[in-house]
Amino acid sequence: MEIPEKYIKLYKKKYGEKADIEELKKLYEHSLITPGEAVGVIAAQSIGEASTQLTLRTKHAAGLTVINTTSGLPRLVEIFDAKKEISTPVMELYLKPEYAKSKEKASDFASRIIEIKIGDIISSYDISLRKKSVELMLDRDAMKEYGLNIKHIESKFSKTKLSANIDSEKITIVDKSADSVKKLIKLRNKMVDVTISGIPHVSRAILNKNNDGTFWIKTMGSNLEEAMKMEEVDQSKTVSNDIMEVANVLGIEAARNVIVEEVYNTLQNVGLNVDFRHIFLIADAMCVDGTVRGIGRYGLSGETESVFARASFEIPLKHLVEASLYHETDKFSFVANNIMSNQVIPIGTGAIKLVVNENGRGDKEKDTGENKE
Amino acid sequence: MSFVFVNGVLTGQTDEPRKLVKNLISDRREGKLTQSLNVRYREETDTVVINTDGGRLIRALIVIKNGKPLVTKEDINLLSDGHLTWDDLVKQGKIEYLDADEEEDAYIALNENELTQEHTHMEITPLSVFGTQVSMLPFVNHSNAHRNVTAVKSVQQGVGVYSSNYLIRMDNDSMVAIDQQIPVVKTKMYDEPSFKNHVFGQNIVVAVVSYLGYNMDDAVIINKASIDRGLFRSMFFRPYKIEETRYIGGQSDKIIVPDKDVVGYRSEDAYRFLDEDGIAFPSVEVDSGDVLIGRVSPPRFISSIDKFRLGVQKQIETSVECRTGEGGIVDNVFVTSTFDGNKYVSLKVRQDRRVEIGDKFGSRSGQKGVVGMLLNEEDMPFTYSGVIPDLIFSPYSLPARMSMSYMLELIAGKVGALGGRYVDGTPFIGEDEESLRKELSSYGFREDGVETMYNGITGEEMKVRIFVGDMMYIRLKHFVSNKIQWRSRGPIQLLTRQPTEGKSKSGGLRLGEMEKDCFVAYGAALALKERFDSDKISIPVCSKCGLIAVYNVRKKTGYCQIDGEEAPIKLIEVSASFKILLDELKAVGIYPKILLGKKV
Repeated sequence: MEIPEKYIKLYKKKYGEKADIEELKKLYEHSLITPGEAVGVIAAQSIGEASTQLTLRTKHAAGLTVINTTSGLPRLVEIFDAKKEISTPVMELYLKPEYAKSKEKASDFASRIIEIKIGDIISSYDISLRKKSVELMLDRDAMKEYGLNIKHIESKFSKTKLSANIDSEKITIVDKSADSVKKLIKLRNKMVDVTISGIPHVSRAILNKNNDGTFWIKTMGSNLEEAMKMEEVDQSKTVSNDIMEVANVLGIEAARNVIVEEVYNTLQNVGLNVDFRHIFLIADAMCVDGTVRGIGRYGLSGETESVFARASFEIPLKHLVEASLYHETDKFSFVANNIMSNQVIPIGTGAIKLVVNENGRGDKEKDTGENKE
Repeated sequence: MSFVFVNGVLTGQTDEPRKLVKNLISDRREGKLTQSLNVRYREETDTVVINTDGGRLIRALIVIKNGKPLVTKEDINLLSDGHLTWDDLVKQGKIEYLDADEEEDAYIALNENELTQEHTHMEITPLSVFGTQVSMLPFVNHSNAHRNVTAVKSVQQGVGVYSSNYLIRMDNDSMVAIDQQIPVVKTKMYDEPSFKNHVFGQNIVVAVVSYLGYNMDDAVIINKASIDRGLFRSMFFRPYKIEETRYIGGQSDKIIVPDKDVVGYRSEDAYRFLDEDGIAFPSVEVDSGDVLIGRVSPPRFISSIDKFRLGVQKQIETSVECRTGEGGIVDNVFVTSTFDGNKYVSLKVRQDRRVEIGDKFGSRSGQKGVVGMLLNEEDMPFTYSGVIPDLIFSPYSLPARMSMSYMLELIAGKVGALGGRYVDGTPFIGEDEESLRKELSSYGFREDGVETMYNGITGEEMKVRIFVGDMMYIRLKHFVSNKIQWRSRGPIQLLTRQPTEGKSKSGGLRLGEMEKDCFVAYGAALALKERFDSDKISIPVCSKCGLIAVYNVRKKTGYCQIDGEEAPIKLIEVSASFKILLDELKAVGIYPKILLGKKV
């Protein structure tokens, strides 16, 4: 048996160069998982048992400098279901050294990335059905506070499909096709939603200081793609807690790591220690096919190969009818279907079979059931 | 201007709400208005609310005027002599009933010492802040409120004499204690004559000590010799009822000893206790499976074949037999008729219930537990004076629950037992701890109730002095013998061939989904398969079409309903429930084809 180089190195470091490698071999073999071990069930039990101790309620803290993230059981559910939109997306932005070291530069950057919309810099609006126009009155003071001028607004509007007439007082859009107030209000909502500065979806940015004196920024709302484009950001460290977003921007391996980190940290936060390897297994299972799949009806369990295993999980009729339509075969190689038909499950002691030579051929096929229209 | 609501309906308005309320109350006290009228001025909404409707909780209080109660010593003397009644006091306006609304504006003193000029009412007794049941618990004012709730719940489950005519009653699950005592530590409520007939516990000697580990986690150790002397012994009655129902077509059931040609005839032995009238005679000892009341019924379905083949239809046996594990003595037999004129027989089987391991006991302070051990008297610890406790309670049950009333009752019980008197443990107004301690030391015992004890097994003196005393314990209605159940083989369900569920059907214990997962996680595949073999069947499968075939195991011949006799048929072992699944799939139009592999 090959022992990975890194273990040999560690072993020698601890017990000296002349240490007995045979002893390490024994240890290594002893630590390996036995073939046929039900690792999936054990992982599920290890996380499942721990999460029964989580309280359903999440703690809420009022305060400006603290960002509340979903924690406890709701967060676990969110991760394992691979929700497209999580309730509290958070980014951790690490800066390049020249920005990270200076507090002014870092806080300047933090204030720049907060998203400002047209809605934040107008004082009032006016909708006229007769003129078929929407007028947004600009708030001069607010603009000054954010350090914006008309040119900023003009340049942003030019990128959108809206053709706006902008002067120092107001933004006017005339829509000749508008025949009802409803349409104009829709137009207004579109206008108000235009981002003039900052990263879209980032509603707050909080400066944090590391022990080594460098600064990093935690943001409420996540937009990794835009954040990564900024030159101040150190792309090698920056992460988001939105798994789907990480999968899209950084790839599936990064997403897997985020799953592991997030699950481990949520459990750690409430004082539960679950072995990393269980979480690894689940994260791997969620990411095997290159996309993040949740565990549940629309994810892993709903895509099992076995017809009966799927049917016994949820909505049996749908799965059985579909199986019959597509002429599916159940090979009886899972746990659920073998228990249904009272056969030996292919796990543990049941995973091992005696191969008997019969007429010169070794055949260990058992009876299999099939669904056929 | 404030609105006036009468029973929730807007009926008028007034400029002087306070004056209106004052007048209404004085009119009520004078008897001009009904006593069940309550009125209150709600400042925050500026409304006067008058309520006279039913369903409000009202309670009686003594009216106070200028810091003096209207009920005087004189009134009380007249009341106790019988010259005056409660209703007279109410009519005179000395006592009045307040509801929750009017109580908001009342200032109620707990007792006479507290009275000031501002007080409007006074409690008749401080005990009246509790309900009937809580006021029967001693020293509840010293205990955690949650414990008192638990205590009431335990006392409700106590086995006592629930009704003095229990002998002629036919209640389900009735239990009656054979010997019960008035508690040494009582409250004023126990003097009420209606409670005296319903005492529900026994005064026993309790030691608070950890002993042999058999009283850990709320368990208690009970002295076996005390049980032999009849401590906490009780009776359990199981009624059986049967009716001679009449059916359409003139046929009817018959309560007789069934003939041997009746369908479903048991053995002759099963009917041995039946009298000529088909009913077991009183004072006979029956066991599970014995027939108590014999009955035959006309056949339920008139099948056409039977009708033509035989002239007389066979009757069905529908007797009542003694429940499994509930043998006893036939106590009482009643033969009456129902409203429809049918003969109705009810019969009661009595069982003697000694205390056994697992029976539940509780005190009146929410400290309940099951018997962990019946210890021989010689092994029980004993005090210097040779007193052997009846029950050993674990000290670890006390600190976390803070049920101080347990310890106070223990001391008070000791005082009462030594002084030969009842101790008043009424909350707020009973005897106080200090005087009890003083009295205890006057009897030559330590005032804190602890005594030197000796280990009953080794005879060594215990290093710590043990808290011993007397208190009331109650046997609770949860007997192990009513709950114990096991099975190795037994009845199965008709459809799924799985074991039946539930104690009364002597069902199996389910190995559920999560338990299954544990077997899987452990990798015990073959053990798991055996656990689920309870509904194992072997079904013949046609290896050509993959459907279930017809097969004669003995002749080793068979045929497939589709492929005929040529098709090779193989037997496979599956669970009956899986076969049902396949059948149901066929029923919805899905063809479940079983592909057979090579046999190992």
